Amino acid sequence: MDLFASLGLGFSVALDPVNILYCFIGVLLGTLVGVLPGIGPTATIAMLLPITFSLNPETALIMLAGIYYGAQYGGSTTAILINLPGESSAAVTAIDGYQMARQGRAGPALAAAALGSFFAGSVATFLLAAFAPPLARAALNFGAPEYFSLIVLGLLVSIALAHGSIIKALGMIVLGLLLGMVGQDIYTGTPRFTFGLRELFGGLNFVAVAVGVFGIAEILRNLENEHEREVGVKAVKNLWLTRDDLRRIIMPVLRGTGLGSILGVLPGGGHILSAFASYSAEKRLSKNPGEFGKGAIEGVAGPESANNAAAQTSFIPLMTLGIPAHPVMALMIGAFILQGITPGPNVINEQPALFWGIIASMWIGNLLLVVLNLPLVGLWVKMLSIPYRVLFPAIVLFACIGTFSINQNVYDIYAIAFFGIVGYLLIRFGCEPAPLLLGFVLGPLLEEHLRRAMIISRGDPMIFIERPISATLLIMALAAVLVAVLPSIRRRRAEVFVEDD
Amino acid sequence: MKTVVKMLAASLVAGSAFSVAAVMAQDYPTQPVTIVVPFSAGGPTDTVTRLVAAAMSEDLGQQVVVQNVGGAGGTLGAGQVAAAANDGYTLLLHHIGMSTAPALYASLPYDPMTDFAPIGLVTEVPMTMVARKDFEPATLEDLIAYVKENGENVTYANAGIGAASQLCGLLFQDALETKLTEVPYQGTGPAMTDLLGGQIDMMCDQTTNTTSQIQAGEIKAYAVTTPERIAVLPDVPTMAEGGVENFNLSIWHGLYAPAGTDPAIVERLTQALQAALADETVGNSFAELGTYPVPASEATPEALAEKLEGQTALWAEVIAAAGVSAQ
Amino acid sequence: MALNASRNDLASGAIFIAFGTYFALEALRYDFGTPFRMGPGFMPVVLGGILIALGIVVAAKGMGKPDEEAAPPWPFRGIVLVLGTILFFAATIRGLGFIPVVLIAGFATALSSSRNTWLSALIISAGLCALCLLIFVVGLGMIVPLVGPWLRF
Repeated sequence: MDLFASLGLGFSVALDPVNILYCFIGVLLGTLVGVLPGIGPTATIAMLLPITFSLNPETALIMLAGIYYGAQYGGSTTAILINLPGESSAAVTAIDGYQMARQGRAGPALAAAALGSFFAGSVATFLLAAFAPPLARAALNFGAPEYFSLIVLGLLVSIALAHGSIIKALGMIVLGLLLGMVGQDIYTGTPRFTFGLRELFGGLNFVAVAVGVFGIAEILRNLENEHEREVGVKAVKNLWLTRDDLRRIIMPVLRGTGLGSILGVLPGGGHILSAFASYSAEKRLSKNPGEFGKGAIEGVAGPESANNAAAQTSFIPLMTLGIPAHPVMALMIGAFILQGITPGPNVINEQPALFWGIIASMWIGNLLLVVLNLPLVGLWVKMLSIPYRVLFPAIVLFACIGTFSINQNVYDIYAIAFFGIVGYLLIRFGCEPAPLLLGFVLGPLLEEHLRRAMIISRGDPMIFIERPISATLLIMALAAVLVAVLPSIRRRRAEVFVEDD
Repeated sequence: MKTVVKMLAASLVAGSAFSVAAVMAQDYPTQPVTIVVPFSAGGPTDTVTRLVAAAMSEDLGQQVVVQNVGGAGGTLGAGQVAAAANDGYTLLLHHIGMSTAPALYASLPYDPMTDFAPIGLVTEVPMTMVARKDFEPATLEDLIAYVKENGENVTYANAGIGAASQLCGLLFQDALETKLTEVPYQGTGPAMTDLLGGQIDMMCDQTTNTTSQIQAGEIKAYAVTTPERIAVLPDVPTMAEGGVENFNLSIWHGLYAPAGTDPAIVERLTQALQAALADETVGNSFAELGTYPVPASEATPEALAEKLEGQTALWAEVIAAAGVSAQ
Repeated sequence: MALNASRNDLASGAIFIAFGTYFALEALRYDFGTPFRMGPGFMPVVLGGILIALGIVVAAKGMGKPDEEAAPPWPFRGIVLVLGTILFFAATIRGLGFIPVVLIAGFATALSSSRNTWLSALIISAGLCALCLLIFVVGLGMIVPLVGPWLRF
């Protein structure tokens, strides 16, 4: 069956009015739940999953796709409006998105995120339809050594996340890597840094750390001198993108889409890097890198596009090989199985209507997301006019309840308080939280792949250089360091000013 | 709005109903029943539980809610149920990990044998010994010879400490009196990825995860771990056919209430479980998972207690011999 | 300011060194392993060492360069009330149950802003309690006792 016939079949399934309705409900519910602070996309999907059980397979999976996009977008909305990322990619969006919101530009930030996501989603859906099987095969060439090198590259490139001191950013990354190691070592079962608490065996909860270092720390900053400074965000100037904004986001969206599409196919952690990689790329390529971290719209549009493209292409390993690339995909497998479909290499041949129906519905889901959310931008932005003294108790409570409702683990809430104070202190002293979160999500992967590669090579580190893909990635990492370090050495002679702000 | 108010009122009533001391056993159940799954939503155990819960609520005439309490290899959720009120409204659905935890964790806050009232077995999922598709040995006999000869040069993927895939590997190495190089993964999903990519040699996983890959020819299957061949993979021999005796491993799932639950309530729950397992939808969904509901004779407290006891003793021995511990 | 150094750099350096030391020392108790089979102690020891080194560099760079801006005041009331509330929430949600905990926690957090009065804090906490009840318990079916076992007679 050629591509167009297949897509035709897909759209005939996805355009069924009942399916469109459920897709819309999914997008709506996903957005509404994803917007709750403390509940990221993974938790949103886990919560809403049961409502799809009673539907027939196509409808259920189409609705689930809608929930997924809605949850992603809802998570970004919280990151932009109140600096509370629900997953690692939203932590990147929060850097510049929240600054834009503070300057009264929450509307354009949300619109840029929605439009970028829609464009990226459309392109990635097409890639998925046209090239899924070969892409999935290619991704299988990535083993432990390649992933290790890729993560090293990602970490080094991401120093660009900081707009202040580079050394402090490095420190935050390393601190994040260490925090990521809390919990049971998967290789030996040794519990590490758990104070003997079995509740910590699974590691620190990402949402708890993110809510602490971003949300709670921000609230404490705002409480510093309430009387002199206007807290929270300014009144909204305009809701829509200006022509200048549009011009500025075109290239970031295109580049983000490309980066995200490629990284998303890699099942061993590629999608995590997509938003960070896009942000770093935009900052490097920008004529005014100084604007990043202070409300650059490129820093919202690029990572959001990259993240959505990766979210889309991470379906490729799931749909063609039956392997989940991340927790959300694992949930999807559960949903597939409950619908009587075992994801695997055969789905495309045995259930073509379902396979192509889901792909087509992804595009429709993205479209509905834009249709639903562009009008909602006004509503979300209105929420900012709630006085801060009412808003912040709500944020604290929602964050606690949301985090607790996911695993019923009270230590996740203790962690919010701990990371709230640690994050507050570090930010007060001029360190930034985004690199810490990147380190936190990549720490376990870095260690896992390093140790696995060494087991497979029987203790020979040459494996990282002998394998061509791995070697290439390491050379790129080295180049990234040189590019980053050389200008700053040169600059140091010329400038006397400190780079701290 | 009216319905919202009604629901609110209903949930308030449900909340305060806890405080009404003794609910008469013959009236049971008068409120929703919660089954705790000690793993995250979407996993195989969660899937099994949701299927059974839906069917049980029909028989009980009350909603059966699934609650995921993941962490620490299932011991957090199990601990929570052990400490819950023994009124029959909080149950636990746990798999083989119930019997391995005492050997793996030095300080368990509960005793699987005495802190629970077994309700019945639910299902037994067979496992398969599989390898990357270009792995040299052609048959189970070849594999055994190859593994004995190459020992540590063969890489074996498992899903971490105490995972069924690790237990299977331990039994296999024990039976062949050899040592493989074990490569742990964060769950069987990533392990399957590396197996498909030919990055590692072998693994052993439940049919739920392997059947579709085997049927598509993406990986090689050498043996099933049950005493008899299984219906979905009729061409795959048993371990015994290859000369590996006493190799019987399946991921069994059981339903438990906290110890001290009124026997009349346990009986009612056993009855509901048996009804659920006889349900056609449940049977079909289980078949898709590569498994089957246990017969009514095994969905009983006695059968589950016996299974738990036998398995706990077996794994204590195997795990101690292998020197594995999760502390 | 008598101190001829950046307080911010000294403080963040100290935090890095403190965390690095904790992780490295604790990890020394774990198996370090061999290159073939790295133990659970390998990465934390190495990374802890790097963090200590980075902390020293950060602090050293701050020498002789006092902060340009005066430090903002410490929000002691906020720190105590906001963090205290979160700890209170964690400690009592299982025992007191949803409604009392959310009421008390909402009230205490609201009070951490000097712009809230006792009355407005009370109104905020009541409103939030109703909202959270609707969203999480009714809407999302969160399983939690509304009034916990400590309050039952």
